[in-house]
Amino acid sequence: MYWAIKPFFVFAAIAGSFSYFIFRSKILLNTLTSLPTKADRSDHIPSRIKSVFVDVLGQRRVLKKKAPGIAHTMIFWGFIIITIGTVEMMVDGIFRGVNLSLLGEAIYGRYLLVADIMTLAVLSGVCFGFFRRLVLKPAYLKTGVDALTVLAFTAGLMLALFGMNSFRVAADPGSTLNQYFFVSGFLGNIIHQSGLSPDLAFVGSEVFYWLHLLLVLGFLMYIPRSKHLHILAAGPNIFFRQLGTSKAMIKTDLEDENATSFGLGKISDLSWKGALDLYACTECGRCQEACPASLTGKPLSPSNLVHDFRTELFAHQAAILAKKTEELPNVVRADSGVTEDVIWACTSCRACEEVCPVHIEQTTLIFESRKNLVLMQSSFPAEMQTVFRNLENNFTPWAFGSDTRADWCRDLEVKQMADHPTAEVLYYVGCAGSFDDRAKKVATAIVKLLKKANVDFAILGKEEKCNGDPARRAGNEYLAQMLIKENVETLNKYKPRKILTGCPHCFNTLKNEYTAFGAQYDVVHHTTFLSELIEQGKLKPAVGADKEVTFHDSCYLGRWNDVYQSPRDILKAIPELNVTEMPRNKNKGLCCGAGGARMFMEEKIGTRININRTEEALATGAKTIAAACPFCSTMLTDGVKAKEQQANVQVKDVAEILAESIT
Amino acid sequence: MKVYVCLKQVPDTESKIKVAADGKSIDSTGIKWILCPYDEFAVEESIRFKEKNPGATICAVSAGPDRVVDALRTALAMGCDEAIHIALPENADSYLTAKSLARAITKSGTPHLIFTGKQAIDDDAAQVHQAMAEFLSLPAVTVVLKAEYSATSVKLDREIEGGAIEKYEVATPCVIAAQKGMNEPRYASLPNIMKAKKKEIKKVTLAELDLTDTDTKVSYSAMQLPAERGACKMISGDVAAQAKELVRLLHEEAKVI
Repeated sequence: MYWAIKPFFVFAAIAGSFSYFIFRSKILLNTLTSLPTKADRSDHIPSRIKSVFVDVLGQRRVLKKKAPGIAHTMIFWGFIIITIGTVEMMVDGIFRGVNLSLLGEAIYGRYLLVADIMTLAVLSGVCFGFFRRLVLKPAYLKTGVDALTVLAFTAGLMLALFGMNSFRVAADPGSTLNQYFFVSGFLGNIIHQSGLSPDLAFVGSEVFYWLHLLLVLGFLMYIPRSKHLHILAAGPNIFFRQLGTSKAMIKTDLEDENATSFGLGKISDLSWKGALDLYACTECGRCQEACPASLTGKPLSPSNLVHDFRTELFAHQAAILAKKTEELPNVVRADSGVTEDVIWACTSCRACEEVCPVHIEQTTLIFESRKNLVLMQSSFPAEMQTVFRNLENNFTPWAFGSDTRADWCRDLEVKQMADHPTAEVLYYVGCAGSFDDRAKKVATAIVKLLKKANVDFAILGKEEKCNGDPARRAGNEYLAQMLIKENVETLNKYKPRKILTGCPHCFNTLKNEYTAFGAQYDVVHHTTFLSELIEQGKLKPAVGADKEVTFHDSCYLGRWNDVYQSPRDILKAIPELNVTEMPRNKNKGLCCGAGGARMFMEEKIGTRININRTEEALATGAKTIAAACPFCSTMLTDGVKAKEQQANVQVKDVAEILAESIT
Repeated sequence: MKVYVCLKQVPDTESKIKVAADGKSIDSTGIKWILCPYDEFAVEESIRFKEKNPGATICAVSAGPDRVVDALRTALAMGCDEAIHIALPENADSYLTAKSLARAITKSGTPHLIFTGKQAIDDDAAQVHQAMAEFLSLPAVTVVLKAEYSATSVKLDREIEGGAIEKYEVATPCVIAAQKGMNEPRYASLPNIMKAKKKEIKKVTLAELDLTDTDTKVSYSAMQLPAERGACKMISGDVAAQAKELVRLLHEEAKVI
């Protein structure tokens, strides 16, 4: 009787829950495809497939966090293997006897052994998950009902599986398959020895079969509306990820006559990739743990940002599907989780993107939201209005006349491209090197080194304009594109063979963002160029003034462009100079607080990021804090002054340290 | 209800001013021209007035060479509705400027209010708004920090020496010249910048206003740059010697005491 009706019930349960699951998933997919904003991620397919192997199957970024990483990997791989058995038990439930035993005992037995051990692995991983969320409670981890439900489902599934297999062993103690059950065999023997009859044991196994099946199907129905959606979205999100380290901000088509809005205002302005990012997040909190804004008490947490955007997306799913999005509110508003303070707190250091196991692009949400605030609503921190005006009128964020741009090198005999258009290297000084008193000294040191190495170089002088980074990162895409286009025209006039920049922000924009505007050149940051000159023997460092040095990584050099080694190579080349690394270095380096145009904004909320970083630098005991970016230097110098250590500790650019070691 | 805002295009504050070869004008090569910051307060005030009085039409007027069109576009992008460009030569004096503005405004429609900045930051003459009011027979209040508008009059706070405030109530129409602090000028949004690019700027010639470019009262005979500021001089020694040396320098070198 039971065998006659079981297939119907199993089939009905599977059909019902799968229909619901597919219905829900279809809504999610349709939401993605209904979003009008384009994003092209169809290039470099082999690299994308490789990334799926490394980041999904290999759990590369997950494993960067040791204990939770191992726990997750055990659960992940356990689930994949156990799912084979889950499918088998569903098929077997409908067509009795159609199961993997048909492959022969040798194969089936081995599978059972692995699956049984993996069940234990998953259970251990889940136990660690409970322990971490309920006992360890790290600050970056949010533990809500959703998180605990997911853990409970997983634990229940594994326990049901052990229950089913143990009772199966007890129901058929003589089966040759029993030897393959590592854990369940042990438990089954205990049940058998307790004197339970095989018939009752069989009933037990069927009870656990149903429990497991219903948990699986329940979980399946639960997933599309929970953060556990990441098991569906993470893989695709990694496949469609931003490839490589460097990336350009999205170029907004400002000349589009049909555009009614620019940037990300309403949730419907997201691209499908932006929405997929939101689906893929499982709120692991790694981004929040690394975020300089979160660490210093700002309202921004990249994890909350993604969560709040997703809440907004789900709240307006119907309007997006019906393509009736005119009435939707802006995402950034006082009563949503995403306030203007959240959006402006970001330093664009990309620490969040660096650690995200599923390659979510948090800065895109920030940058695009800023664009909408500035371009459409003229809403931005008041300090930025002066900066925008200076950029408009004098092509520099600071209030200096554009015709005084080359005054810093009046006494240095530096050639200008207008007089020497065939120069091998165009030294793009940048606004800091041209106008900021401290950074002018760095520019002077670079000139000294270039001359020492007999490099044929010239600057643009008055023809140089801000590269566009501060305007662009502050959301003023219109002003940024104006500056970029004017610089592109100048660069294309001279077609320099190599562009040397004195600032990581110039470096990043010229290298990664000018291509979209028709200027593709070989761009190099001064630390890379100088380290090459040392390698070629054109610069020979001797013992200099600095002995105990720590190096602070610039985000736009490191996380944005993967340049970690060059500045360190320069420091290592100087005799008797000892570099002590800070605990947070290279791709884990903490931002100075100045990126994303934060350099020009007041830091009114929470504690100061530069102080946090300076304390870490001072703790190394180094007498010199080396930097490779004028903004970092300014922030760290301010930090050293705030800690009243200016008599003991100096902040210097790597170029200055090198210049002082060469006579 | 027509509201005018008169504005001047001036060199950016960071521009390096050079005297031209003729010795009586400035060399405009390399100069970045901007909307005069005081006039920007006037533009902002006119837009705020319109926000409270939706029936108002804001007309920006500027007298000068063709380049001033850019300043008018800035005003349009901030929110002015229309713009008039009076073609005037470089170096036209305050008299001709004021007269042409007055006549262009009369021609364009009776004003309810006329806003402008308290002075232009290039020649600092602070004459045009008062002369223009005179030509229009309207009351004028300058250095205005605050205005409260009613249907037929405006209550105005005017800053005087020492930060004291004079309070006025003036019947409309009237001329209001803005002081820094009257408001915080807005930053134009991109859609408004785009719309401003397409708006027509009406060009008016002096002939249409029954004027010629010789209708001036002032002409420039020469221009010279201020002497370059010397290096800072540090005085050393004990306090008494320092004081003595300071007095000597102020008396003999600076000749101020």
